[in-house]
Amino acid sequence: MSVLKKLSQMFSGSDSKVQQAGEAVSESPKPSDSPSAFAEEPPVRRRVIQAPVVIEEAEASGPSDQILIKAEPSRDNEQCKLMVNRPLFKGHSWLFSNFEEAAGSPLAESVFSVDSVETVLIHDSTAVVTKTGAKGVSDWEALAKEVGGALRRTLEAGADLVSKDIIAKIPSEQVVQEEIQKVIDTEVNPGVAGHGGKITLTAITGNTVTIQMGGGCQGCSAADLTLKQGIHSAFRKAVPYVGAIYDETDHAGGLNPYYR
Amino acid sequence: MPKLNRFNIEIETGETGTDLPVHFTINNHKMPLEDTQGGVAQGKTFTGGFEIGSFAHSLTLVGPESGQWDIRKMKVDYDCEHTAPYSVVFGAVTLDETSEVNIWQDPPLPTWDV
Repeated sequence: MSVLKKLSQMFSGSDSKVQQAGEAVSESPKPSDSPSAFAEEPPVRRRVIQAPVVIEEAEASGPSDQILIKAEPSRDNEQCKLMVNRPLFKGHSWLFSNFEEAAGSPLAESVFSVDSVETVLIHDSTAVVTKTGAKGVSDWEALAKEVGGALRRTLEAGADLVSKDIIAKIPSEQVVQEEIQKVIDTEVNPGVAGHGGKITLTAITGNTVTIQMGGGCQGCSAADLTLKQGIHSAFRKAVPYVGAIYDETDHAGGLNPYYR
Repeated sequence: MPKLNRFNIEIETGETGTDLPVHFTINNHKMPLEDTQGGVAQGKTFTGGFEIGSFAHSLTLVGPESGQWDIRKMKVDYDCEHTAPYSVVFGAVTLDETSEVNIWQDPPLPTWDV
């Protein structure tokens, strides 16, 4: 029986099996048995937890002399991740927002040589590309092939991949942590507090930042907008040498996810 | 998020079992699994499923009404509209009367060599 049919029965009162989560399974006492309708305990709100997903490797792939690159567009097709079987910027990350910023970094220069590439984020052995124009999976197929070719040619050339100026700009993890924490405390959290939200810095690896969104931000339908237009902008404006910014919030978990 | 036509679940219970029936929630509506076989006592394997025919904003397996339930492993098979069938294996989790576990995973992203 489909859910729609079950729900329609629920609203017509013909199926007592359909219940709200947390309601008691047993039948409710008759009104005459109950001292007061207001004395009934509210349904228990269950906490949603996440079980680990077990990745079953299809086949073991050892190290290869060949440069292997795999493309994976994001679910919303806004960006495409290219995963390479060797490091591009080990231990660090960097966002090239435009062609000018790529000057002196052969890897980013080669990617920007491909038409319609908008930004490039490199982190360890991945390059994440955004593009202008149409963004369907089929639009990424051709572009990812060109970007993959550009990455491969640069790697084969064997030169430094990232400008020495950029590497020199990146301070220690402790400095990155202190400065990002300051932005969170003075700009970001006061901004989201009005919606009951709270941002927590969970990790700094090199210049890569990982945060968690809590309170009203967890599971909020506007969380992605807050992350990209609010938090990213605030971090990058105040701490220009910050690289990738990740949100590790479990937006479907906890007690009050938006989509429940 | 694709429309979920049907899902089937296989649950391996670990050290602490519980009692049937096994309930799940779809978009916060609680129902018992159908087409069930096996059990959820210690060390037993249980299978069940449900014809959903709707969009799963949330899909969870509900913990017992009392006590604990140690789940060693769960395998969920999803049949979604316009998407090839896919399966996800979840690892160990312990449920109780205050918890439920997410069993929804979006279809895998397409990947290709470039």
